[in-house]
Amino acid sequence: MSDKPFFVGYLPAPGPLRTFLLTACILLIAGLGGAGLLMGAAQDDPGPGAFRFDYGRQTVTGVVELTPYPIIHVTEGNDRIKPGDSFLMTAGGKSGVDSRAEPLGGQLAQVSGVVLERGDLYMLQLRGGRNGLQAAEGDAPEITPEPQGRWKLAGEICDGKCLAGAMRPGRGLAHKACANLCLLGDVPPIFVSTQPVLGEEFLLVTGPDGTRLPPEAYDYIARFITAEGDITKRGDLLVWEIDVDTIEVTE
Amino acid sequence: MSVKYIPVQWNPNKWIYDAVMLAGVALFLWVFLYITPEVLSHERAINPQIHNARAFGACAFVMLTVILCIGPAARLDRRFLPLLYNRRHFGVMTAFVALTHAGYILNWYFAFSSTDKLVGLLYANASLGQIAGFPFELFGIFALICLLILAATSHDFWLKFLTPPIWKRLHYLIYAAYFSVAAHVSLGILQDQKNHVFTVLFMLGAGAVIVLHITAWLSERRETAAKDGAWAEVARVGDFREGYAKIAKLANGGRVAVYLMEGKLSAISNACAHQNGPLGEGKIIDCLVTCPWHGFQYDVRSGRSPAPFTEKVPTYRVRVMDDMVEVHPDANPPGTYVEPVPLPEPEPAPEPDTPEEGAKA
Repeated sequence: MSDKPFFVGYLPAPGPLRTFLLTACILLIAGLGGAGLLMGAAQDDPGPGAFRFDYGRQTVTGVVELTPYPIIHVTEGNDRIKPGDSFLMTAGGKSGVDSRAEPLGGQLAQVSGVVLERGDLYMLQLRGGRNGLQAAEGDAPEITPEPQGRWKLAGEICDGKCLAGAMRPGRGLAHKACANLCLLGDVPPIFVSTQPVLGEEFLLVTGPDGTRLPPEAYDYIARFITAEGDITKRGDLLVWEIDVDTIEVTE
Repeated sequence: MSVKYIPVQWNPNKWIYDAVMLAGVALFLWVFLYITPEVLSHERAINPQIHNARAFGACAFVMLTVILCIGPAARLDRRFLPLLYNRRHFGVMTAFVALTHAGYILNWYFAFSSTDKLVGLLYANASLGQIAGFPFELFGIFALICLLILAATSHDFWLKFLTPPIWKRLHYLIYAAYFSVAAHVSLGILQDQKNHVFTVLFMLGAGAVIVLHITAWLSERRETAAKDGAWAEVARVGDFREGYAKIAKLANGGRVAVYLMEGKLSAISNACAHQNGPLGEGKIIDCLVTCPWHGFQYDVRSGRSPAPFTEKVPTYRVRVMDDMVEVHPDANPPGTYVEPVPLPEPEPAPEPDTPEEGAKA
C-alpha cells in the first residue's frame, strides 16, 4: 500500500491531494466546456428551408388537382405567386388538407396561408377551415398531365413539410419517425433526387395510378434508395409514381 | 454511517463536489446553446428546440462517460477516489439532463400530430428489421428508464431497504444505460452527420470507458488472482504496512481485506456495508478501518461500526504459515470478533562479515 494521501469524505482533503483535486476539477470543467464547443460546432447545416412569415399571408386562386395529394395550379396570383405556378398544400401541424381539398377536386378554389420554401420546393400551410381553402367562382381550366416516361431515380423520400422548412433539419434518419408521423397525417411526401430530374430536385412522390404512397415504402423513408416509376408533369410540378417493387437501398 | 435518514447529509466536500459538477454542466450547456450558434455559419439556424435537444442529449452522454470513467480511474490511481465520493449526485443530475433532452424531443418531433405524443413515439417508426432507419428512439427510452430508476433508488434509504448487494447489482444498470445510449447515438445522429467531429468525440468517450475498465480489470486480476486450497494466500509478511491492508480474492469470488493494525493481522470483508466500497483500499484511522468511498468505519477485529452506528461486515480467520499470511475463505457472521494474529518479526538479515582487526585503514 502506498503512502498516498487518504481522502475521507467528511474530513478536509489532505494537503498533497488538494493540488491534484484542484487540477482534476479545473480539467473536468474545462473539458466539459470544450466538449460543448466541439459538439455544438459540429452540427451540420440544416439547409435553407423555412416558413416565410416575412412574405406575409398569401392568398391566390387556382385549380385544385388531386394526385391524390392536393396541388393548386394558380390562375390568379399576386406579387409573389404568379399564374401558372403549382404548389403543394398542408394544414397546421402534421396534417394534410385532403379532407378539405377532395370536394374541390378539379374546381377553382381560393387558398390562403403562409409559405414554406426550400429552393424550388414551395408549399402553402393553409389557414384553418374555409379561410384557408374555399371554392371560388369561375370556370376551372383543364390541367393536362404531361407524361415524362419511366425513370430510375436515386435519393430520399421525405415528408414535404419538414423538408420545406417546418423543421430544420427536416430530413435524414434521425428525423425518420417525425417524417412517418407527417406522412401518416397526409402531409405530401417528397422525393429528394441526388441529381436534377428534368431540371427539378424535388418531386412529389405517389403510388402507381394515382394512389397514395404505399405503406411498403414507409420502411424506406429517410434512407438513400433507388427506385423506378413514371414521372408526370402537372403544371410546373413533377409527380413520380414510385414502383415499390423496384426500391433498393443504396448505402 | 447513519442512525437516521435525512435527504442529503451535506458536508463541505459534497458542496464542492456538486459545485464543480454543476459548473461543468452549466458551462457545457452554455457553450453549446449560446456560443456555437455564433460559430456555425448556417444560412438558416437549426430550430431552437432541436438545438436544445442536442445540447442536453450530448451533455447527458458526456456526463455518463465521465461517471463511468471515475470508477476504473479510482481503481488504477487512488487519487481519483474523491471523484467517486459523491458520484450519486452526478448520476441524478445526468438523469435530469437526459430527461430534459427527452422532453425537447417528445415535444417537438412527436408534437403537432393528431396522434398522442407517447403513442407516436412508440409506433411512428416500426422499421425494426433494419439497421439504418431502426427506431433508435427505443434505445433512448430504455436508457432514460434505467437512469430514472438509478436516480430514484440512489438514496441511502434504498440502499438499506434493498441491502447493499442487491442495490449494487441494480446499479449495474448504469452499464445497460450506457450501451443503450451508445446504440441510440450510433443509430441516430451518427447516421446523419456529415461533420464527423461528433463521431470522433463519441468514439473517444466510449473508447475511454472501455479501455479504463479493461485496464482496471487486468490490474486487479494481476494483483488478486484467485488461489486454490482451503486457506487462501494473501501476501508475504514483509509486504504488510501498518494501517493498510492487502486484498485477497477468494476462490468463491469474494474479496477479503487483511489489515495490519498495531502489529497484528485482522481480516474483514472487502465490501463496505454502505455501498460495497473497497474497504481494503481504505486505511486505519483512529483504530478503525475507514472506507475510501464515503468514510464508513469498522473495528477491524469485529467488523462492527462504532456505536451508535450499527453497520457490520463479515470477518475472517487469519494465520501465518512460514512467511505467508493466509485467510480462511469461510466468512464469519457479520460482526463476529476474531482475535488478531500477531505478525511475526521478520528474520534479521545476515550480518556482513566482520573485517579482521587491522584491516581498517
